[in-house]
Amino acid sequence: MKSGLFIATAALYGIACVLYLALLTRGSASMRRLPGIVFVSALGAHLAFLTLEGPPPGDIPLADIAQILSISSFGIGIAFLLASYRFDVTVLGAFVVPIALMLFLASGLGSSYAPVPPRVESAVLTLHIGANVLGLIAFALAFGAGVAYVLQERLLRRRQLSGLFQRLPSLDVLDTMGLRAVLTGFPLLTFGMVTGTFWLLRANGAEFYVSQMLGLLAWAIFAAVLVLRVAAGWQGRKAALGTIMGFVCTLLVLAGYVVRAAGGNA
Amino acid sequence: MRDFVVVGLSHRTAPVEVRERLAVAPEQLEEELREIVARGHFDEALLISTCNRVELYGVSMNPTAAAQSARNTLASRLPNSTSEDVFYSERGVAVVRHAFRVASSLDSLVVGEPQILGQVKEAFDAATNAGTAGTLIGRCFSHAFSTAKRVRNETGIAEGTVSVSSIACELARKIFGNLDGRRTLLLGAGEMGEGAARNLRQTGTQLHVINRSEARAEALAKSCGGRAIPYERLTTELAEADVVIASTASTKFILTPELMKGVVRSRRHRPLFIIDIAVPRDVDPRIGTMDNVFVYDVDDLQQVAEQNLAVRAREAAQAERIIEEEVESFLKWRRSLELAPTIVALRKQFGDVADEELRRALGRLQGLSQSDRAAFEAMARSLVNKLLHRPMMHLKAGAEEPDGAQLIDAVRRVFALTEHDDAEGKTSIEADANVRQLTAVTAPGRTGESK
Repeated sequence: MKSGLFIATAALYGIACVLYLALLTRGSASMRRLPGIVFVSALGAHLAFLTLEGPPPGDIPLADIAQILSISSFGIGIAFLLASYRFDVTVLGAFVVPIALMLFLASGLGSSYAPVPPRVESAVLTLHIGANVLGLIAFALAFGAGVAYVLQERLLRRRQLSGLFQRLPSLDVLDTMGLRAVLTGFPLLTFGMVTGTFWLLRANGAEFYVSQMLGLLAWAIFAAVLVLRVAAGWQGRKAALGTIMGFVCTLLVLAGYVVRAAGGNA
Repeated sequence: MRDFVVVGLSHRTAPVEVRERLAVAPEQLEEELREIVARGHFDEALLISTCNRVELYGVSMNPTAAAQSARNTLASRLPNSTSEDVFYSERGVAVVRHAFRVASSLDSLVVGEPQILGQVKEAFDAATNAGTAGTLIGRCFSHAFSTAKRVRNETGIAEGTVSVSSIACELARKIFGNLDGRRTLLLGAGEMGEGAARNLRQTGTQLHVINRSEARAEALAKSCGGRAIPYERLTTELAEADVVIASTASTKFILTPELMKGVVRSRRHRPLFIIDIAVPRDVDPRIGTMDNVFVYDVDDLQQVAEQNLAVRAREAAQAERIIEEEVESFLKWRRSLELAPTIVALRKQFGDVADEELRRALGRLQGLSQSDRAAFEAMARSLVNKLLHRPMMHLKAGAEEPDGAQLIDAVRRVFALTEHDDAEGKTSIEADANVRQLTAVTAPGRTGESK
């Protein structure tokens, strides 16, 4: 049975999602601050949940996939708050907060996922997971900016300039935010890939084959986005689409782990 | 009874040739106001003079005569051939409503435009400085400002830009974010292009001007604060600009896909916003499908303007409801303002009669003890209170009604009460408190002396 705190956190995330969507689609001036307030309280509840129901202090809370998902969701929330403060992109909550909600819900799906792999104490594995969680957080923001970019560009081309177009940030802001987030996430992902491979070789198992391939694909996509941005001056819609695809791949990798962990338990 | 008057003309009634003849320069406003009040018809006056309207708001004991004199003064500045129809005038509540609508930009040429509120505020400051804004004008216009704020906050009347050149600016901002340090390239010397370029220049972009005639380019660059560039450098300039405004008189496309392919490559796919204001068009529409190139022509911009105007028209209906609410709230204040001195005067009149009669009676009744005299005095006071109790209650209740001012006026006339201007200097809160206090005293239960 899930604790009341879990349900409360999930409910608050859910309400925040709805409010951010309403802010994006309706955007009445009177409710500008409301989604943020609800979202911060969701993060507060989440923090309480992590503190009260997570591993004892001193342990890194990355021991199983549930904890990884929960920490990722929390991290995305915090990163989004910082980004919306820095770039004034509150409406992007409509794209980013659902991801936080989804990860948080997934963290509680199976009541007890199997602890990910054996030898979780291994420092290499902790580094691998830590780097990838941080990378995921950065890519989630890049994803939000990318979706908004594609949407905004479409509205601009179709000359639909009322409402939604007015509320979304400028293309330049979205593009810059996407670029910075990918620039942050990519080294982390690379580091995560290297440590992961290193650990896998030592563990001598080739069982994570699909996840490995997807991870590699995600890495390749982000690498391509960055190289094309820097070398060929690629920007705008194509870069945004690439970022979205890369993020979807990373999510699939994570989903692979979730399925494995849940399956392993069954 | 003192009442509001407005006489004026606006874009609705008069063409620009007439309006500009009556316009009063901001620095002459105060002097003009003092002269108007000195002529004697107006107790208070305020003059709004913008390029779209010239209006004199006033308060007068004799509104009809005041309106006529104001009309004559204004008409004397126009050529004889001008029809009297260019003027409109209003009295009473209609003036308050008009002031609220003007300040809220509901009466503007472009409904919802933001400048008018600032202009009305300047007019109000001038009247305050000239000492011609008294209680009524002062209260009416500060109420107009809060109404305008409410309209702005609660309706979408000011949302969406409605002029072609500011729409171009807004779009540029939605593409490039901050426009500071970006570069605008003005191609050709069309009038509309110049307007858009000026607008963009004000947002902090650099401006480069290219024209077939270099002399024209020089002149234009000078007047807009830009730089003239020789026509041969078109391709380089296209590669470096962020916004291009095309408004040449050319009958053929100047920006062709062939030209732009190279340009896009050399700008390394940086976004480019092209505004084609020229008719016939300067920009091949196929360019609009290129990645990171956004092309808007004059029809697109016009369409946006019309959509935004339609939204504003819808919101204006909502705004009118707010105006009515606020007019009603103002009238309530106005009535309370008149109610207090009326009650004071009425009580004074009755009290004076009672005192006079008491004095006479006591003069005839010799040898009364102290307590007997006190009983007589109490009786006189109680009589006044009881006689006035019902009329006061009805007067107070009736004053709350929409036609309350008439009731107050009727009472003043029936009892031949004179104006007590001193009470009008008080704020509404004081006046309200006055009313409460006075009516409380007249309640029979409170007059302990009668028991």
